[in-house]
Amino acid sequence: MKEIKIAEQPWLSLHRTIRITVDGIRYRLFRASVTVAVIVVAVAFLMNILSESLIKRSVAANTRERIQNARLIYAWSAKLTSPGSLESVVADLANNPPESAIIQEIQGFGDFSDREMTELRQQAAEIAFVFSFFNGLDYAKRRSMIHTATGMGILNRLRTPAGREQFETALARIKSVHFDLPEEKLDALLEATPAVTVQLNKILTARGRAIAEINREVKNKDLLACLAEADHRFGDVIRQAGFVFDSEKLAPIIAVQAQRLIDTLHLEKSMEERPCRQLIAQQANILPADVNVIMMWDYLDSGRFADRYLERMTSAGLDVTGLDAERLVSLARGRKENTALNKAARLTVDAGRGFMGLGERLTWLLFVSMLVCGIGITNAMMMSVTERFNEIATLKCLGALDGFIMLMFVLESCFMGLVGGAIGALLGAIIGLGRVMAAFGVNFFSAIPVGDILLGMVVSVILGTLLAAVAAVVPSYKAARLAPMEAMRVE
Amino acid sequence: MAAVTAEQTNGQNSAVANGNGDRRVIIRTVGLKKTYMMKGVLTEALRGVDIEIFQGEFIAVMGPSGSGKSTFFNMIGALDSPSVGRVFIDEVDVAQLTAEELAYLRCHKIGYIFQSYNLIKYMTALENVTTPMAFGGVMPDQARERGMGILEIVGLKERWHHRPIEMSGGQQQRVAIARSLANNPSVLLCDEPTANLDLNTGQEILELLQRLNKEKGVTVICATHDHRMMNICDRLMWIRDGRIDRMADRSEVHIEVGTIE
Repeated sequence: MKEIKIAEQPWLSLHRTIRITVDGIRYRLFRASVTVAVIVVAVAFLMNILSESLIKRSVAANTRERIQNARLIYAWSAKLTSPGSLESVVADLANNPPESAIIQEIQGFGDFSDREMTELRQQAAEIAFVFSFFNGLDYAKRRSMIHTATGMGILNRLRTPAGREQFETALARIKSVHFDLPEEKLDALLEATPAVTVQLNKILTARGRAIAEINREVKNKDLLACLAEADHRFGDVIRQAGFVFDSEKLAPIIAVQAQRLIDTLHLEKSMEERPCRQLIAQQANILPADVNVIMMWDYLDSGRFADRYLERMTSAGLDVTGLDAERLVSLARGRKENTALNKAARLTVDAGRGFMGLGERLTWLLFVSMLVCGIGITNAMMMSVTERFNEIATLKCLGALDGFIMLMFVLESCFMGLVGGAIGALLGAIIGLGRVMAAFGVNFFSAIPVGDILLGMVVSVILGTLLAAVAAVVPSYKAARLAPMEAMRVE
Repeated sequence: MAAVTAEQTNGQNSAVANGNGDRRVIIRTVGLKKTYMMKGVLTEALRGVDIEIFQGEFIAVMGPSGSGKSTFFNMIGALDSPSVGRVFIDEVDVAQLTAEELAYLRCHKIGYIFQSYNLIKYMTALENVTTPMAFGGVMPDQARERGMGILEIVGLKERWHHRPIEMSGGQQQRVAIARSLANNPSVLLCDEPTANLDLNTGQEILELLQRLNKEKGVTVICATHDHRMMNICDRLMWIRDGRIDRMADRSEVHIEVGTIE
C-alpha cells in the first residue's frame, strides 16, 4: 500500500483565529448579546451581593464606634440614674479591656486590688460565657436545662444538686448543643459564685451611694439639664462621686448631646400645642388631629419652615430661648442621622461572622448567587455551542483542526465572559451601592471600601470569564471530536 | 489489490473497471457497510458497496431518496466512519489516519459541495473561499489573490465582498464550488448541487462542473436527481437499498433513455 505524504495541518495564527471569532460574534450579534446578557445578569447578581456585603461589613465596623459615640448621653444618663444590675456589671467586666475607664471605675467603686480585679474579670468572662450559652438556646431546650432561671439565678440553680443534675441530663440528651466550658472550670465558677455575688453587690451598692450623693449635690434638678453642664461644675460633681469622667474629651460631647436631647424633647412636646399642630396640618393638608411628630421632623428637615414654626411656638406661649431656625433644622438633621445610624446597626447585626466577616446570611446569599451565576453562564454557553454544530461540521470539512474549533469557541466564550462580566460587575456594583445608600443614607459614603469593591469587581469578571470558558470547553470538545457528518446530524 | 477488488464486486461494474484498466484509482471502497441506531432500531444505510473511481472521472450517482446515497458520499469523503469495510483515498486507508491527517485530507485532497451550500454565514464570499487556504497554511495575501482567481472562474469576482445572505441560491452554490476548489483538490464531492436551483442556474452549475472536470482534470462525484447530469458524466451509478444497483457508461444510458422514452 502506498504511503500518502500527509503533512501535519499547520495551526492557524492566533490573529486570524481571533478575527474569525470576532466576525462570528459580530454576525450573530443578537444571539451573542442574549448570551452576554445572561452573563451580565449572573455577574451583576453576584457582584451586587458581593458589593452590598462588603459595604455592609465596612459600614458595620464604622457604625459600631459612631453608635457608641452617639449614645454616650443615653449611657451616662442611665448610669447616673440607676446602679444597674448584677448582670450588667458582669457584662461591663467581661466586655471591656483592663485599661478602659469603666474597669477603673468599677475597681474604684469596689475598692479592689489589681489582683482581685484581674480575678473578678476572669470570673465575669466565664459567667458571661455561661449567660450567652443559655441565651442562645431556644425556649424548650433552655427550659429543660435550667427551668426558668435567668441571670445570676442560672448559677444559683446550677449550684443546687437537683439543678445541676437536671442540666447535665438534658445536656447529655440534646446532642445538637455543646457546652464548651470544661467541667472543672464550671465547678470552680459555681464554687466562687457566692463570693463573686458579694463583690458585684459591693460595686452596685457603691454606685447607688454615688448616685444618691450626686442627687443631693444638684438638689434633685433634672438630670439632662445637669448633664448639659457636664463640661462645667456638674462634671466635677460626677468625678467626686467616684465615676471616671474624662473632662477633656467626654464632657463637651456629653454637654452638647444633652442640650440637643433637651431641645429635641422640647420640640416634640411642642406638638401638643394647637398652633404648632395647625401649621403642620396646613402644610400636609390634613386634620390637626392626624399630625404626628415624624411629620414635624420631616418638615423641619426640609428647611423652609423653621421660622414660621418658631413663631407658632412663641404664640403658643412656649419657651424659645436658645432656639432659632438654624437650630431647629440642625436638630431635625441630627435626628435623621440618628435614625439612619440605628437602621445601620440593625441591618449589620450579624456582620463579622461567616465568610470574610460578611455575616451568615450574606455568605449564604453569596454562595447561592455564585451557583446561579455558574449555572446561567454554563447553560448559555452550551446553547451557543450546540446550535452551531452545523458550522463546526462545515469547518471540519474545510480542514479545520479539532484544536482550532475548540480554541475558537473558548475564545468566543472568553470575549463574551469578559464583556458580560465587565458590564455585569459595574452594574452590580452600582446597584449594590445604590441600594446600600438608600438604606443607610449618604453619610456612610466615607465607609465604602473602594479597594475591596474594585477587587470584588476584578474577581467577578475573572470568575465570569473563567466560567464561560470552562462551560464552552465541554460541548466544543464534544463537537470537535465528532466526525463532521455526525455533528451535522446532531441538530 | 485491484484484482481482488474486482472479484469482490458483484460483477456488474467489472466490465467498466476493465475498460479503464491502466488509469489511476483515486477512491476505492471495500465491502462498505454503515448501520445507524435510529430510535432504537438498527437501520442499514449501506449494505456492502465496492467501487473503484478513477482519476479525472465524472461520476453521477443516482438513486431514490433514502437509498444510501448521502451515506455513501460521507464515507468516501472521509466525513463519517464506516461500520464495516474500508475506504481508500489515493490508496490510503482512511480509518488509519489520525485526526490531523484527516483534517489535512479534507483540506487538500477533497472538495465538498453540499446540497444546502453550508457556507459560513458571517464570512464574505472571498473569506469563505480563503478559509480552507488558511487552514492549509497559505499566507493571507497569497490566499486572497488565489481566492479572487477562483471566484473569477465561477463568475463572482465582482461580488467577493458579499455575505451569503446577500446572494441568490445559484450564487451561493457557486461560492460553495469556489470554496471546494480552494486547495486544488483531486476529488470534488457534490451532494445534489442543483437540487435547490432553477433550471438556468442549475445548467450553469453543471457547465461549471464539467469545465472543471475537463480543464483541471478534477475527479467529480455527483449525487443527483438531475437527468441533465447524464449528458455530461462519464459513468452513471445507481444505488438502491444500500447496494450498487447498476453502473453504466454514458453512451449505454443514452440508448436506454431513448428506448424508454
